[in-house]
Formats: sequence, structure tokens, C-alpha cells
Amino acid sequence: MAKKRKQTEEVVKRDLLKEVGEGIKKYFTDFGTAVNKGDWGTRASLIVMGAGFIARKQFAKGILITLVQIMYFIVFAVYSVPYLTKFGTLGTVQMEQTFDPVTMQQTTNNYDNSFLILIHSMISLFLLVVFVMYYIHNMKAAYKVEKDAWAGRHVNNILEDIADMVGKKFYISLLTLPTIGIVLMNILPILVLVAIAFTNYDQNHMPPASLFTWVGFDNFKALISSGGMTITFGYAFRKVLGWTLVWAVLATFTNFIGGIVLAVLINSKGVKLKKMWRSLFVIAIAVPQFVTLILVRNFFRDDGIVNTLCANAGITDFFKSIGLLGANMNFIPFLTSKGWAKVMIVLINIWVGIPYQMLIATGVLMNAPQDQLESARIDGASHTQIFWKITVPYILVVQGPALITDFVRNINNFNVIYLLTQDVYTTTDQMLANSNAKEVDLLVTWLFRLTNEYYNYKMASVIGIIVFIICVLFTLVSYSKLMAGGREEDYQI
Amino acid sequence: MKKRAIALAMSAIMMTATMAACTSQETPPAAGAPTEAAPENNTGAEPTEAEVVEVAKADDSAVGNLIAATTDTVKLVVWASEEDQELTQDLINKFEAQYPEVKFDIQLGACSESTAKDNVLSDPTAAADVFAFADDQINDLVNAGALQEVAAAYTYDVSKENVAGSVAAATVNGKVYAYPMTADNGYFLYYNKSVFSEDDIKSLDKMVEVAGAADTQIGFELANAWYLFGFFSAQGTDLYARLAADGVTNECNWNEGVGVDIANAILGYVDTGVFVKAADDASAVSNMKDGKYAAIVNGTWSAAAISEALGDDYGAAKLPTFTAGDKEYQMSSFAGYKLIGVNPHSAYVGWSMLLAEYLTNEESQVARFEARGLGPANIKAASSETVKADPAIAAIAAQAEYATPQRIGGNFWDPAKSLGEILGNGNPDGTDVQTLLDNAVEGINAPVSAN
Repeated sequence: MAKKRKQTEEVVKRDLLKEVGEGIKKYFTDFGTAVNKGDWGTRASLIVMGAGFIARKQFAKGILITLVQIMYFIVFAVYSVPYLTKFGTLGTVQMEQTFDPVTMQQTTNNYDNSFLILIHSMISLFLLVVFVMYYIHNMKAAYKVEKDAWAGRHVNNILEDIADMVGKKFYISLLTLPTIGIVLMNILPILVLVAIAFTNYDQNHMPPASLFTWVGFDNFKALISSGGMTITFGYAFRKVLGWTLVWAVLATFTNFIGGIVLAVLINSKGVKLKKMWRSLFVIAIAVPQFVTLILVRNFFRDDGIVNTLCANAGITDFFKSIGLLGANMNFIPFLTSKGWAKVMIVLINIWVGIPYQMLIATGVLMNAPQDQLESARIDGASHTQIFWKITVPYILVVQGPALITDFVRNINNFNVIYLLTQDVYTTTDQMLANSNAKEVDLLVTWLFRLTNEYYNYKMASVIGIIVFIICVLFTLVSYSKLMAGGREEDYQI
Repeated sequence: MKKRAIALAMSAIMMTATMAACTSQETPPAAGAPTEAAPENNTGAEPTEAEVVEVAKADDSAVGNLIAATTDTVKLVVWASEEDQELTQDLINKFEAQYPEVKFDIQLGACSESTAKDNVLSDPTAAADVFAFADDQINDLVNAGALQEVAAAYTYDVSKENVAGSVAAATVNGKVYAYPMTADNGYFLYYNKSVFSEDDIKSLDKMVEVAGAADTQIGFELANAWYLFGFFSAQGTDLYARLAADGVTNECNWNEGVGVDIANAILGYVDTGVFVKAADDASAVSNMKDGKYAAIVNGTWSAAAISEALGDDYGAAKLPTFTAGDKEYQMSSFAGYKLIGVNPHSAYVGWSMLLAEYLTNEESQVARFEARGLGPANIKAASSETVKADPAIAAIAAQAEYATPQRIGGNFWDPAKSLGEILGNGNPDGTDVQTLLDNAVEGINAPVSAN
């Protein structure tokens, strides 16, 4: 059974690769076919993009497409060219300002702004790629129209096309806005950020006053080679990466299991006022997380309210007597000593995170396979057995992808760590301190301090790329393991 | 399929227009956020030997020329701290009234002096035309080309009317880059007069003895590099922590000479249980108010809160001496100033300079003291009787003699803070003190990532 599963899996993988390869090949051969086999009208589209449609008497469409082409050429010449010509150097003219004390006027030379050059070049390149793709597509479309006309099939006129856009192809109209949004908000900024990893954009090279330029893989080398960004970088990197992974595992699974247990408890038959209990927990979600976290941080300070309560209630003394606290400590270092802080962070994270998981688990539990639960009960399985043998595997399969997402999110869980420890936790590990790190830092919080205080944008991009790679690798591996052989089918009804 | 691709291409092309319109406002990816380091105010340079640069007095006709040349509305943005809003708005109104022939549109925004650098450097071209900042940020601001050189003075003599230390703090590489606004951004001793006499507070040994007998404590933010500096760079120790010649890395020798003695002295004081590590400014001040601490080391920003809580028992003085090895040292401190800078990217640099001058002239500095109790940098304003009578400002003036300029690179803060935390906890792991200092100094002096 297992072997067969593995085989199918491999077949699926090979098919996928093959499909992608063939898709790419087809994309270009179709274009070649259109150029080779098309008639004069279609071929004229190589120069005037609307020609193919005009030859088929689709004048409006042909003119519109030609207009788009002309517009792009103008944009390219007026907007793209000035930036793209400087893209190789990211600018050469440094800003110079002179102030005339007599007229009190400032004159500034016509300087290059590396950052603007980078951004606008990226946009220009992006537009170029979009245009080339559109150009290729247009060629194929012209050829298709040619064939349609030749075979006597109906060819849409522009009005019919427009009608389609609000009719049966309405989804395209609907998706236009989100697509623009994704391009503007996600793709372009990410491209710019990736590009910055290959420049020397930092505090000593800050536009507009100074220029930055390309440095190839130097930043990556600096990160990997001994020393890195700080003198104890390798040591700090290992420590921080270790705690990041431990934290991600702990945070993900404590919340996951806690949420399920809570959901099962509230769902179980004896519990009264189910809705009230659920609402009580959901209220915790309603308060913005950063408010909660900062409040909690203040509660647990060395001289905070919790410590006062503990001292008054004798808990501090009790901890002292069982050796959890040093003899000269008159407070519990909830967020100020290494061990306590790590435990507290995980506990506080459980408290702020469980309600979400409880809601999800409640939903999942309501759809649990009743027939299996029923038959298990008839067969005389105990509650614990049912929980571990049926409920948990079922939830694991249904929520597997969500778990992986949670894990990745926790690797980058800036809020909880930063808000709970910033300005409170001071490391006593001097090796870490020399790299501006703390025992409780995640890669992101460490990155934030390293780069934000020194405007080290280039290294921020490099570490960002590396964190991204770690997350991608983890996600790919765990998805393929979790989804191996389509285990979810075992639980489909 | 075809139509969808067309739609995509169309939307991409439409996007061009949008992009072209908005790109000029693009900001760098990681925007600024509060930096580590000292409490809300960092500090600056006392002119121990720094030579004071003179700012040339400009021709009187210059302002007339500027007024004549200004035909459109002068649009300026001013950033001042949250607490300074009301006062600054008053001053701006008075400034506008001085030039009735010019139309002004001056907007006031809130930005703390301690974080001005972060906000300005995230995009200097979009930052305010005139902004207040703490003088420890001046190096970075000048390096990033975000400060206009004070090439000439128009309404008052910037370099002569302000105390020499404040002008030195506004000077980088022999050029003045900012207008001194206050001279009180350092720290000193607050004490409770019902516990200590004026003689007690001269020496930390005596203070510990007296406070111990009175069953109170002395709070000191050891795990804060800004305050810890006061111990190690005490008078006569030959120890220093300062910016190296490259303007980025540090030179620190706390691990040499009497450094070990001083670290051991701190451990000794901590060991008494009377001299304790205060968690941060807020907790130091609140413990002072509650009477848990009989003395703390803090700055003028806490003066109002403490004097209100202690009433007649409120006392402020220079920092005490302490004993290390078998010698007595006077505790040092960082001295600090708040400055006003002009953004060279301003469209109205001339007017911005005039406004900055106005916001820092004698009259404005007196107004600032009266409204907010901030110690003036202006010599005449600082020598008035009311200013001198203020205990906190008198204390900072007394401490000034032992204060050191705060010219230190970013690598200072975390290693020194960690050292202070270990010492403040009484060195729980029993690490060799020399090793502790060596580690800290290695981090403080570490090279800053190059290329």
C-alpha cells in the first residue's frame, strides 16, 4: 500500500514538471507558428500590433490595440529610458547644495537619486515584461482570429467583447482591481527589496544626499563568512536561529493542542452556557493584540502588579524556598531572566493565541465524521481513545495546512516577542550583547534592531531573503510529507 | 483566455499612469522606529577642549533681500516634541507677526527630539523644514545630508550668545549645523532631604550608609549604558568611551587601568542591597515618589514629577563621589543639549533658518524655561535669577563641570548595557571581572560592517 502510494506520488511529480516544461515550450512555439504560418495581416502585427485584427475587419479592436502599443512606446521613451540607462550604475551625480548667505537661497545641482532610479527601473522592467508578454499573446490572438475567419467561425466584434466582460467573462473584470493591487502592493515592492540585497544601501549611502550602487553577492558573503555583520555574528546567529525554531514549534503546538482541548471541553455534553464560555474567550481577540501585550508586559515587570501580588501572597517566598529563585531575589524575574522570560512568552502567547484556535477547532469538530465516532462508541472505545485515535488524527489532517502556515507565521512572530521583551529584557550573555542580540530574540526581531537602528537596509534585505528561503523550504517539505499519498482521503466521506 | 490576458495587459498599462504619479513619494523600505540607547533624551558635548566655531554675522540687507524675493506663500513644516506644541505654536505666531509683508503657512507637527533622527532619515526630502533633535544624533544627521549648515546668522549671534558647550555640540568637523535650544539634557542626583543632609550627598559611601540606616534604597539605572558611563568615565580615571576618528566606531578602554576597580566598586555597592539597579526611568521615578528610593540619578525631565511628590524634601545636586580601589572619584555624566536643525531639502531654506533662529533666540529660550522648565542654552537667559533658582537646573549646571560630551557610536549601547545588567545583578555567574570588561570593550569597539 505504502509503496504504491509513493509510486503515484512520483508519477504526479514527474507529470507536473513535464507539464510546466511543455507549457513553456508551447508558449513559444505557438508564437513561432503564428509568425511562420500567419498571412500578411497577422505578420504585420509584428510591427503594428492591431494590424491582424484590422485585416479581419475588427477595426475598433485593432485601433485600440495599436493605441496601447503607441502609448507604451511613448511611456518607454519618456519614462523608462532615462531611468534604465542609469540602472547599471544607479546614478553617478552626487547631490551638491550651495547656500548663498546674501540672498539666502539654496541651489541644488541636478543630482541622481539611486533609490528612485532603482524603483523606476524596476517598474520599467516590469512594464517591459508585461508588454512583451502581451505582444506575444497578441500575435497568437491575431493568428487565431485569422484561422477563425478562414474557417468561417464567428469572430467577436468589440461590442460583443465588451458585453462578454460584464457577462460570461465578468470574473476578468472583477479580478482586474485585485491584480493591480497585488502588483502594486506586493510584487513590485518585493522586487525592489530583493534588488536592495545586491546594493550597498546603508547609513553611509543614503539617498538623496549620497548614492548607492550594485555590489553583487558581497552582502551574502559578509553574512556567511566569519564575522558577518558583528564580531560574534556566527554565535548569535546560531543561538537566535535555535530559539526561533524552538519557539515556533512550542508556540504552534501549544496553541493548537490548547485550542482543541478548549473546544472539546466547551463542546462536551455536560457543559452549560456554551455560548457564554465561547464569547468570553473571543473577547480576548477583540482587544488589539499589541495593547494586550504591552499591558501584560507591564503587569509582569519586576516591580509590576503581578510581582506585588506574588510578594504579598507569599508566592515569591515559596519560590525561594523551593529553589526557583535566588536567595537575594525579592521579586520574580518574569520577563527579565532567560528561563522565566522564555516560559512566560510561550504562556502569554498561549493566552492570546488559543481563542483563535478554539474557534477553528470548534468548526472542525462540528464536522467530525459522526459515523466513525458512533461506531467507535458502539465498539466500546473510551473517551480518551476516541479523542486520540479519531478526533486528533481527523483534526490534524484537516488542519495540517493551517498548522504549517501557523508555524511559518510564528517564525516571523514579531509582535509577541518584540512587545513583550523590548525595553524590559537585558541579556547577560556578552557574546549576544556584542551582536545586539538577546536570548529571547527571533530572527526577525534581531534583524529589526540590527537594521533599523543603523539603517542597514542592504543587510535587512539579505536576512529577509534568507528567512524567506527557510520558510519556503520548511513549507515545501512539510506539505509534501503531510499530504503524502493524499492521506486526507482517508477521512473523506 | 485571450480576453483575460488583454485585460491584464490593459490593467498593467493603466497602472503605469498611476505609478508615474505617485512614485515621487516612495519611501525607503524599513522606516524608522525608536532607537535603543539612553532614555527619552540623549546627551551631547561639553566643550572641554573642543574649539568653538564662530558663525559669521550676515549683512543686514540679507533679510530685506529675502523678503523682497519672496512672492509666494512660504510653506514650512516644523517638528517639535509633543510637550512643546503649545509653546512652539505661540512662538511661530510671533514669528509670523514679525514679517507682515510675507504670507506664511507654517504647520506644526509632533516628533520627539529623541526620535527625530529616525523620522528625518527615513526620508529627508519629506521631513520637516525645521525640527528639534537631541545633539547625540547630529553626526548621523550631518552624514546623511539632513542638516543645513548654519553658514550665517541673521537675527542674533548664534555662536556667541549660547554657552560654548552647546555650540560645540552643534558643531561637526568645524562647521555649525544647528541652533542650540536647551542645555539641560544630562543627568544628576535627586535626593530626599528628609533622609540625606547636604553633606551626605557628597559621597556615595556616606549615602549608602545613611540610606541603609533609614531603611531606604538608592536607585541607579545600571543596566543603561547612558548612566553606567558616569561610573567608568569618572574624573581622574583615564578611562574613556568615545567615538573614534572615523565617526562610526568607538574607542573604549574600560578594561584597562582602574576599570576593574570600578567594576568591583559597583559590585560592592550592589552587594549592600542599598544601592540597587533601577529597571528604567519610569520605575526609578515612581519608586522615588513612593519613598522606596531616597535618591535616584535622573534628568530634568523628571524634575516636575519628583518635586511635586516630595514637596519640601525635594533636593537635586551634582552626582556624588565614590570609592574604587582605595581612591575616591567624582562620578561623571553625559552632558546633553537639544538643538534645532534646518532641513537642506526645504524649499525655503532662508525662511527656515530665520524661523530656527527665532525659535532659539534669548526671548524664546526664556519663554521655554517659563513654560516648561527647560534649562536655556542662551547665556543671558541661563544667568537670570529665576533660572538659577531652579534646583534641577542648578544641579545640572554644577554637574556640567564633570560632564563629558556624548559622542559615541551605536555599538556602545548593547554591550555596555549587558555589562551594567551583570554588575547590577551582582555578577551571579561569578565571571572574572576582567573578562566581563574585556568582553564588553570588545563589543563596544567592534568594527561596523563595511562595504
